[in-house]
Amino acid sequence: MKSKLIIAIAAMGIAVLFSSCAKVPQAEIDAATAAVQEVKDAGADLYVPEAYAALVDSMKSANEKVEVAKAKWFPNYSKSKELLAVVSQMAIDTKAKSEARKVELKAEVEAMIVEVKALVEENKALVAKAPKGKEGRAALEAINSDIAVAETTVTEVEALLANGDLIGSNDKIKAAKEKATSIKAELEEAIAKKGGK
Amino acid sequence: MVLKTNKKAKWFLIVLFSIVTIAISISIIIVSQKELPTEDLRLAREALTIAKEAEANIYSEKIYNESVQLYDSAMEKWSLENDRFILVRDYSQIISFAKRSKKKAEEAREESIKKSVNLSNDVKAAFVNLAKKIELYNKLFKDLPLSKSVFDAHNISKKYLSESKIAHENGKLKEAEILFKKAEIYVNHANVAAAKMLRDYFNDHSKWKSLANDAIAASRGGNKVILVDKFARKLYVYQSGKVLRSYDAEFGPNWMAHKERAGDKATPEGNYRITKKKERGNTIYHKALLLDYPNAEDKMRFAAKKKQGLISRSAGIGNLIEIHGHGGQGFNWTSGCVGLRDNDIDDLFRLVGAGTRVTIVGSVEPLSVVSNGLDF
Repeated sequence: MKSKLIIAIAAMGIAVLFSSCAKVPQAEIDAATAAVQEVKDAGADLYVPEAYAALVDSMKSANEKVEVAKAKWFPNYSKSKELLAVVSQMAIDTKAKSEARKVELKAEVEAMIVEVKALVEENKALVAKAPKGKEGRAALEAINSDIAVAETTVTEVEALLANGDLIGSNDKIKAAKEKATSIKAELEEAIAKKGGK
Repeated sequence: MVLKTNKKAKWFLIVLFSIVTIAISISIIIVSQKELPTEDLRLAREALTIAKEAEANIYSEKIYNESVQLYDSAMEKWSLENDRFILVRDYSQIISFAKRSKKKAEEAREESIKKSVNLSNDVKAAFVNLAKKIELYNKLFKDLPLSKSVFDAHNISKKYLSESKIAHENGKLKEAEILFKKAEIYVNHANVAAAKMLRDYFNDHSKWKSLANDAIAASRGGNKVILVDKFARKLYVYQSGKVLRSYDAEFGPNWMAHKERAGDKATPEGNYRITKKKERGNTIYHKALLLDYPNAEDKMRFAAKKKQGLISRSAGIGNLIEIHGHGGQGFNWTSGCVGLRDNDIDDLFRLVGAGTRVTIVGSVEPLSVVSNGLDF
């Protein structure tokens, strides 16, 4: 009877030896993967690309760590779990950074829209004061059309902004601002020359 | 009997323990000698990160994606292998995938750097080329009575060019290329339409040249002859074959066309004479020299075109084509007349009388001269 008990214990010991001691931290992996996906869905790859790339790299590194642990005789996932927790936290931070950048970018675009609108109005007023002599009128027609293009761009940017395309709207409004600023300089120069005559 | 059984059990346990110990030792030796793919995967992952930093996912998309797939396959395979019994796991394929992934990532990075440099240079060269096209429009076409669609296309092209430059400055080369291509489509549309208009206009140059030569020849006897060059926007007074005076002139918005009917805002071409001098008070344009438009040739042309249905039945041929004042506005604003500055019409008024020949031509100089060697 005693010997049977000893044999059973030994058999159990062998079974334990050949089986895993710990389970893969699937819940943590799933949570971290979902967190990374959420960050991507929030547009972090566009708004904070460097932070997002670091997050993805950390997630991959964590997955590798899980497999390293899994490959051992006696898997120990405590380090993997720690890393996955770090990834989940990084995901939260990256999402927050992305949201902050979006808010910042939106404010920048909105401010530039206001600036461009003001420049358009200033330019319209300057056109009225600009010299209309030989060549002047034709040049003013071209300037007026440039002002009209800037106005159209503002409308396009407002639509892009409403659709949440902050990067597209930022690039467009920058171009419009540059154009409106150069028109203003051109008009001011023409008016100054006229005044100097 | 009991003692014998206990002894047997002891021996059994000792043998069993020895077997297990040997098995474990052998397994540990086997497992420890197996190369894990950890290092290769780390290197592949790092290579992918570096490749992405070089925007290989944009400029070397195919190779980069192959590298990503190899890395993902390696990870998937590793997970599957780890699910197998420890002694039968085989990591060789995983290592191979990881090594290939790293190599592809490096290739993708190199290709991306090359392509982005080339693209950046191409876009920069394209900016120069596009700027030349915009300059060509500004130098040669902007004063033509172009349609609104052509005018708008030119302005839209400038907008896209400016957006493309910003994208280029921000390192968004693909976006810069897309925007640049849009700009190119619009500038080409504007320039092709404008160039066609200009070439078509100069189809009549030999006729104009002959008219101008006749006018200059007619001045050789000492008579004053007025020669109006619509393209040059000039009015010349010739005497004895030489230019006596030259004034800036303005015309109607449809100045390129030959006047055919009332209200077409075109300035007629051909030989005319001053029929009446209108002093201040007799014209709203300071002073005016009334021409004999329509002359016999205009009337014949008008009748023929009306007959062919090219001019509506209700249309009139128009009249009151004058050389008058209020010019110097910098654009073509008259209803088909020739507008001069008030002091210029004053001068001309003193210089010429009723009956003076007025020859109006599209251009004295040929297209090759007026285009100033610009290639279009």
